[in-house]
Amino acid sequence: MAEILAGLSAVLAWPVLGFLAIGVCLGAVFGALPGLTATMGVALLTPLTFWVSPEQGLAMLLGIYCGTIPSGGIPAILINVPGTPASIAASWDGYALTRKGQAGLALGINALASTTGQLTSIAFLAFLAFPIASFALRFGPAEYFGLTLLGVSLMAGVSGGHVLKGVLAGTLGLALALVGLDPMTAYPRYTFGMSEFLDGISFVPVMIGLFGLGEVLVQISDRQSAQVSAAAAIGRVLPRIADAKRMARATFSGAAVGTMVGAIPAAGGDIGAVIAWEQARRTSSDGDSFGKGSLSGLAASCSACNAAIGGGMTTMLTLGIPGDAVSAILIGALLIHGIQPGPLLFANNQAFVFSIVFLMIFASLLIMVIGILGAKPLAKVLSIPAPWLWAGIIVFGTVGAYALNNAVTDVWAMYAAGVAGFLFRKTQIPLGPLVLGLILGPLMESNLRRALILSRGDWWAMLTRPILLVFLAATLLSLLWPLVRARRGRAKRSQDTIPDA
Amino acid sequence: MTAPPLRWILAGCLFAVGCSGNEESYPSKEIKLIVQASPGGASDMVSRVMASLAEGHLNVPIVCEYKPGASGALAFSFVARRPSDGYTIGHAPVEIAIVRSLGYADIGPSDVSLICLVSKTAPALVVHPDSPWQSFDDFIAAAKAEPGNIVMANSGIGSIWHFNILLLEQGTGARFTHLPYGGSAPALVSVIGRHSDAAVAAVGEVISHVRAGSLRALAVFDAGRAGVMAEVPTTHELGYPIGAPAWSGFYGPAGMSAERVAMLADAFKTAFETTEWAEFCRELGMEAHYLGKEDFAAFALEQQRFFESRIPQLVRLENP
Repeated sequence: MAEILAGLSAVLAWPVLGFLAIGVCLGAVFGALPGLTATMGVALLTPLTFWVSPEQGLAMLLGIYCGTIPSGGIPAILINVPGTPASIAASWDGYALTRKGQAGLALGINALASTTGQLTSIAFLAFLAFPIASFALRFGPAEYFGLTLLGVSLMAGVSGGHVLKGVLAGTLGLALALVGLDPMTAYPRYTFGMSEFLDGISFVPVMIGLFGLGEVLVQISDRQSAQVSAAAAIGRVLPRIADAKRMARATFSGAAVGTMVGAIPAAGGDIGAVIAWEQARRTSSDGDSFGKGSLSGLAASCSACNAAIGGGMTTMLTLGIPGDAVSAILIGALLIHGIQPGPLLFANNQAFVFSIVFLMIFASLLIMVIGILGAKPLAKVLSIPAPWLWAGIIVFGTVGAYALNNAVTDVWAMYAAGVAGFLFRKTQIPLGPLVLGLILGPLMESNLRRALILSRGDWWAMLTRPILLVFLAATLLSLLWPLVRARRGRAKRSQDTIPDA
Repeated sequence: MTAPPLRWILAGCLFAVGCSGNEESYPSKEIKLIVQASPGGASDMVSRVMASLAEGHLNVPIVCEYKPGASGALAFSFVARRPSDGYTIGHAPVEIAIVRSLGYADIGPSDVSLICLVSKTAPALVVHPDSPWQSFDDFIAAAKAEPGNIVMANSGIGSIWHFNILLLEQGTGARFTHLPYGGSAPALVSVIGRHSDAAVAAVGEVISHVRAGSLRALAVFDAGRAGVMAEVPTTHELGYPIGAPAWSGFYGPAGMSAERVAMLADAFKTAFETTEWAEFCRELGMEAHYLGKEDFAAFALEQQRFFESRIPQLVRLENP
């Protein structure tokens, strides 16, 4: 208890709270601009913190981290361009809500569910850090393979009813993920002799192109200015109590899924949100509305991608190993300030751990206030005349694609993905599976091959690992569930028709 | 959008002509420092700390830009194509001496103007603290007794720490099963989680885990002991003179004038001599080590010859 109070009093100082607020605001800007990610924001501002006290520096960096992810949902909802990869799943239901004229409500849910997700994961960090961390450490190559296999099996679920086309897009995503150095032998694959391709297809530019430019091209070709004027209706921001109650289950189960996935090194909010969304869809009584503007779907994905923050921090603080790219940079920043993350930090400097917990709580409450107050002004973006909005998206998309690695190749990748995204939309091939394949492909391939190195090439030996078996069972369930539901649906329909008969 | 408008190019040419007549005015505008990695890693931290310490001496800002990819080959080729006016320079890691041997790009230390070297980082061999191997000799004896039984995680095939593992195999006759990861952090995590038995990574990357007791260091691959891990023996002491360190230096496009190279080298030397730099190197487990233009060039070329001669041999060793 004394440590909790000491941790609280260390951060209840105006300079610390000031730096926290600056960080949250900067994070909000970074998140809202596609191409500028949380990783980049934290990395670029880390050196600025060398000259201030550890609490102040950490306040700013945590503020950026907690501010970026919720604000990445804003462009995902308003213009269907995820601000960071974590918000991909949020765009599925969020943008659908905007098209229904409920942009304000979508932004409000984003703010509320994001903060709920963050606060839930912070509670996990404060009370269950070591059990979560030891679970995360049990993830070896075979377990990662299981997790990614489950992720890939969700392709059908995110296909929006076009399962065959979804599988086609997903396979294309997996194929694109093969480009670059072979993860095991470092042999260049499909690089056409260009060093630019050695590291594979850059994911963020492809995401900006598929979602941003692709959407713009579709709207231009459809002369869809009608959509914008319909969407300019912002509607209410805060959900009704009844809606909030209905979303609560999806929000909290999303937070639990996000925390666990975030705690596992190398898996972050993007994967967590997709898994949480699919899990919410499957367990919902109204699963068919997911992807078409479901409030629960939006809440689950927003909550999960934010809960991954607390999960990643848990692994970082307890084990000294990064849970994701941002916490990898935070470790470096802490070392510079002479603080050593790891088990000893909890034993020797518990007050500091609680300082981090309180900083994250304050940051996540602040971003919620910003998100709710900002919802109406931000949604005004939609009343910008369509051609201006299109031009803006193309400009920001181009800048964002270039800013990621300062590489012109990425800009071309973004344009190519934009054209592909346009053609996909016109032929009703869903984009979700393609993105899943591209994110999960490298993780799945390298971990399967690592698992086979460890089992000396024996496929059956891999099956002795319990966590892997759980994932395989879940994968099987997710593949068979649509069949089960279809049968149930038929049964129900035939029941319904009895009175008529 | 990739090419600037013609009038800017013309303005730039006029400006360049104006500058070239007036050698002592260098530097008169910001200097771009191209970093071959993403923000947040060791290369980035070295570059930014050095830039911030050196820019006061030059009276112009030094701004870091990032061009990650292909082990740095993209950044090296980019800098080599810039005008050699000293306003675009780059961070030179050990990979500048390796990428040609790996076939990633036809560029090496002899194709650029080397400025100076500022730090070195030795690798260390680590195992899980609950493992049976208390010493380097235990470990090597076990690896020899059952070749291929010990799983050795590395930070990627072709990375500098992977070479050190191959040098270890070649120098001791031990054989491991190699488990490649996409960097040192995941490789170390796999040892901490007991998914693999051992790993080789930079002293600075393992020190925090060694201090926390989640990893045990068996040897540092160097001639002298590492300042932050003075209790760990070196491979040279143990009778195996092996080890290829990572290093950090700076370079510009080929054909930079000797005066400009000297001015930059002086500025970095001043930065090198500050207590901040010594402190920074200590925190990150690196060795502050300065080599001027000539010494750096000799060292980098010798490194390139070393990798050119060893890489084919080591690759054969791995795929017999």
